[in-house]
Amino acid sequence: MQQILHGKNDTENGLRDQVLRWKERYDKVYAELDIAEKTLENERKTSTSTDSGSIEKQERLKELNTYLGLTDVTGSGVVITVKDNTNSKFVTSNDLVHDGDLRAIVNEIKNIGADAISINGQRIVPGTVISCAGAVVQINGEPIGAPFIIEAIGSNALHNNLLRPGSFIEQYGEQISIDVKKSDNITIKKYNGVLTNKYIKNAE
Amino acid sequence: MKKGKNIMIVTIGLICFILTYVIFIQFKTIEETNITEIETMTETELREKIALWKERYEETNEKLQETNETIAEYRHKKEANQEAIELLDKELLQAQIIAGETDVKGDGIVITLAQNEASELLKSYILVHLINELNSAGAEAISINDQRIINMSDIVDIYVDDIAHYILINKEKVVSPYVIKAIGDPKYLESALTTKTVGFMDMYSEYAVSLERQNNIRIPKYSSKIEIKYIDMEGEK
Repeated sequence: MQQILHGKNDTENGLRDQVLRWKERYDKVYAELDIAEKTLENERKTSTSTDSGSIEKQERLKELNTYLGLTDVTGSGVVITVKDNTNSKFVTSNDLVHDGDLRAIVNEIKNIGADAISINGQRIVPGTVISCAGAVVQINGEPIGAPFIIEAIGSNALHNNLLRPGSFIEQYGEQISIDVKKSDNITIKKYNGVLTNKYIKNAE
Repeated sequence: MKKGKNIMIVTIGLICFILTYVIFIQFKTIEETNITEIETMTETELREKIALWKERYEETNEKLQETNETIAEYRHKKEANQEAIELLDKELLQAQIIAGETDVKGDGIVITLAQNEASELLKSYILVHLINELNSAGAEAISINDQRIINMSDIVDIYVDDIAHYILINKEKVVSPYVIKAIGDPKYLESALTTKTVGFMDMYSEYAVSLERQNNIRIPKYSSKIEIKYIDMEGEK
């Protein structure tokens, strides 16, 4: 492993090792959580099976978790591919996809109507941050490179509405390569983290 | 004598197998992580990366413990149906809190932005940017003029005959001044937004009226029911 990770110095190699180690620990505990959540769902079902009202509550819980981006989902919607404009003779800032552009597209999708959105596999959840760190875009804390593939499951109007005259995408498409395709079979993976709350308290 | 030889062969074989297996696990781990990505990172970036995965690990681990506890509780309460139902209510409430279906309170910051007559229009993308910055600083609940920002909240500009402009949040009209409330670590929220030059308050200083820390901020719930509208929930079972 040290040979693969030849670096400038020992400190950086040590840090790289640590990155891999924490990522590995995270992957492991995430896989365990995945199993535990399935067990919990079954346990919930059997424990409250004699109560008719509980079925409704379980469905509501599932619906909220879907809304929060905590489940894998399938449905119809659009797939948008956004790329830097590499045809320019001199590539300027205007030819590149910026974090603000991605936020604008996501906002447009929400406006038209969607239940689930992801960018390069990163699910949009409450608290998702789309930012830039130097030359790369970061979503949910992870670096994402172009091309950006935005998938959205939502309204039938998504495709036509995103491309309506004067829309952000129509204007934006003059500068950057952007492609919007309809799809009937989109699968969007759940968020690969957990949602927690430390500071907010229920006030009802 | 022969017996000892056999044992030795089996032992060596077993050791070889284990070694091969370990090597494959190693390869697999390396494959799953984007080596080229971390190879070009600077020391600072690597430290950030460690912090990210460490935090993710800790959060996920905590969630795993919680989930296991809830499983145990359900198992324990199987006999007493009423208690199991109460536990389900608790789980549901927790999801509602995170989704934005309940009023919440906590410490945080309150920001006021206003349209300045001399400046360009304070457009929706500025509010979208602000939400992103607040989330980046760990905000757990945000509202703008009492419109709760939830996962699928949209913020759009509406122009009336090219003269008037207003903003819709959650399809409801909001107008300047914009009062943005955010609950989280007040110190952290404040310092993230007031960073010199690149912080939000300096970037949009022409609209920035005030930013103050406040205890016990109340943020109202989303005004309608949060629903899945397009995904077939029957098919998701």
